[in-house]
Amino acid sequence: MPYCETRYFGALEYSEGAVLDFPEGLPGFPSEKRFILIEQPPHHPVVFLQSLSSAELCFLAVPVQCVDPDYRPVFLAEDLATLGFSPEAQPRLGLDLLCLAIVFVGQEGSATANLLAPVVINLHNRRAVQAVQAEQAYSHRHPLALLEVAQCS
Amino acid sequence: MLVIRRRAGQAVRIGDEIEITVIETAGGTVKLGITAPRQIPVLRKEIALALEENRRAALAVPPERLEELLGRLRRAAPEEVSRR
Repeated sequence: MPYCETRYFGALEYSEGAVLDFPEGLPGFPSEKRFILIEQPPHHPVVFLQSLSSAELCFLAVPVQCVDPDYRPVFLAEDLATLGFSPEAQPRLGLDLLCLAIVFVGQEGSATANLLAPVVINLHNRRAVQAVQAEQAYSHRHPLALLEVAQCS
Repeated sequence: MLVIRRRAGQAVRIGDEIEITVIETAGGTVKLGITAPRQIPVLRKEIALALEENRRAALAVPPERLEELLGRLRRAAPEEVSRR
């Protein structure tokens, strides 16, 4: 199995089938197209989105439902196409899609979650896109309540 | 904020090199045409926010402080529960 250097966990083995494919990269990181999702039980529900091409690039993220149980992303046709869905598709969170909010943690430990621009992964083919929610009033710095993080299963 | 009323076909200049033209208004949306030098990025605001926030988040937690910062998130929770 191939292995990669990671920002937080040293060298890790991964399987090629687990690689997330971001055909468009991410805003600010257009050439970062391959990531793996690292889950470490002690850090649950925080997951780590580690770039395969840049060891120093790793985002912390949490499932959006941990931040806002009523979160309902709306997808542009171009984002659906990037994920490999038809324009009429209505993929379901949890069944077809994993939807993650990237987390910012301040130096004092306060945290915010980016609900404006969730990372959306098609669970069927591992394609992913950061689907910016232009039509909705979600914040890019939504306060991340500690209780919500701890209780999210 | 400077507010200027414009009709379709009219434009606004910002400095010597940036021009924004109202091309069409319909159904609550405005179609804009933007001319700017190549070195000036033109982005939809929500994309610019996502870009800035990605860069900020990517640098936020140095590897040597990961355990400490995530530990604070975890430790704070039981107190919240017991206060109910």
